[in-house]
Amino acid sequence: MSLLRFKFIILLACLPFIGVAQTLRVAVAANAQFVAEKLAQAFKKQSGIEAQLIISSSGKLTTQIEQGAPFDVFLSADMKYPQKLHEKKLTTAAPKVYAYGSLVIWSKTNITFSKNLSGLNNAAIKKIAIANPKLAPYGTAAEEAMQKTNIWNVLKSKLVYGESIAQVNQYLLTGNVDAVFTAKSVVLDPAQRGVGRWTEVDSKLYQPIAQGVVVLKASQGKNFAANKFYQFLFSAQAKQIFKAYGYW
Amino acid sequence: MQYQPLWLTLQLALITTGCLLVIGIPIAAWLAQSKFKLKPAVEAIISLPLVLPPSVLGFYLLLAFSPANGLGKFLNDVFGMRLVFSFTGLVISSIIYSLPFMVHPVQSGLEALPGSLREASQTLGKSSWQTFIHVLLPNVKPALFTGLVLSFAHTLGEFGLVLMIGGNIPGVTKVASIAIYDEVESLNFKAAHVYAGILLALSFCILIAVYIVNKHLTRSRLTS
Repeated sequence: MSLLRFKFIILLACLPFIGVAQTLRVAVAANAQFVAEKLAQAFKKQSGIEAQLIISSSGKLTTQIEQGAPFDVFLSADMKYPQKLHEKKLTTAAPKVYAYGSLVIWSKTNITFSKNLSGLNNAAIKKIAIANPKLAPYGTAAEEAMQKTNIWNVLKSKLVYGESIAQVNQYLLTGNVDAVFTAKSVVLDPAQRGVGRWTEVDSKLYQPIAQGVVVLKASQGKNFAANKFYQFLFSAQAKQIFKAYGYW
Repeated sequence: MQYQPLWLTLQLALITTGCLLVIGIPIAAWLAQSKFKLKPAVEAIISLPLVLPPSVLGFYLLLAFSPANGLGKFLNDVFGMRLVFSFTGLVISSIIYSLPFMVHPVQSGLEALPGSLREASQTLGKSSWQTFIHVLLPNVKPALFTGLVLSFAHTLGEFGLVLMIGGNIPGVTKVASIAIYDEVESLNFKAAHVYAGILLALSFCILIAVYIVNKHLTRSRLTS
């Protein structure tokens, strides 16, 4: 093999590593998808570092991280999954709450819902989608809220389960369900504005959705960027963005 | 750990295979003898699920089944039927998804039969229907068996499509492949192992049966 060809092959082999050093991989729970895009934009403006978002359910991302997925920061939809990763010593520190999420009912029908969920028992609402309560905190919260009302028995038979809040939204947008429980951040996203109507669920009906963030140890060589992004999440600017998306 | 998803998967695979038997054989028979100009187009459409990602099919079915428009709206308004998130919907999508696995083997089996077989039967006064049922079909037993078993096995392995249009409802649309995905996501690897192990063993046994039976059938046909 000629030396030139050999060099070329080495170069090719190294290609995946070149230029990636400054790209941060941020694993994001589906509910925070839109706010994370906004945050990434603001972060890039401020630091010049590009954050690439990997969006999925918290449960799936946790499994992937456990199996060595090359993510640098993980924005979960709850505290449980990042805590699990922390216990397995995969994170640099214990999870910290970056935002509290709110649950809303979203529908394209003309039915009026109240914050204690009445309206969902209307016969015109045939299917209601929630995220899988086993995997997604917004699904757990939705189930909890419904169980606290006296119409739980009626609602139970109408439920279908999305694998994450993202699939739940997709079911509503394609018209396959009549109402969904989703994150407030979804309906506040500019792209969804004007699509259907939404009602905030009474926050007394469910445990606060505390969303935790961790920096992952696997983020070797990128710790500086990862920590910078982590700090950015708690900056005044980020707080403002979170607020605009309905987090508190 | 529940056995319901496995049972549901078996039901789905059995019903789908049964329907495919009824739908697939006439299609295969027609394709085998047709000189229709657009036959390649029909063959291509039937084969599409072989190459298309299940997500493409899932996406289109989600739109087609939606009570908000077109076919789904018609079914919902006229029959009060919603295919999405229902077992019937899964059966219909599985039929589309596994159709080539039924049609291809039977079609090639029929095409491989010598023309003299049909001609002899018809010369002896049998109608084309009788010829098909009593002469042609019994001669493509290995192909029929392969088609049946592969359709069954392919439906067992269905995942992406169910994930997109199923809605993960226990006892209705939560099949074994989805249950595995669920358990893995909830970090419950033990249950995932049980489901996955059973599916692996089942699929292996099915395929081994195909190879053994086919070998046997082919040999007996040659010697008889």
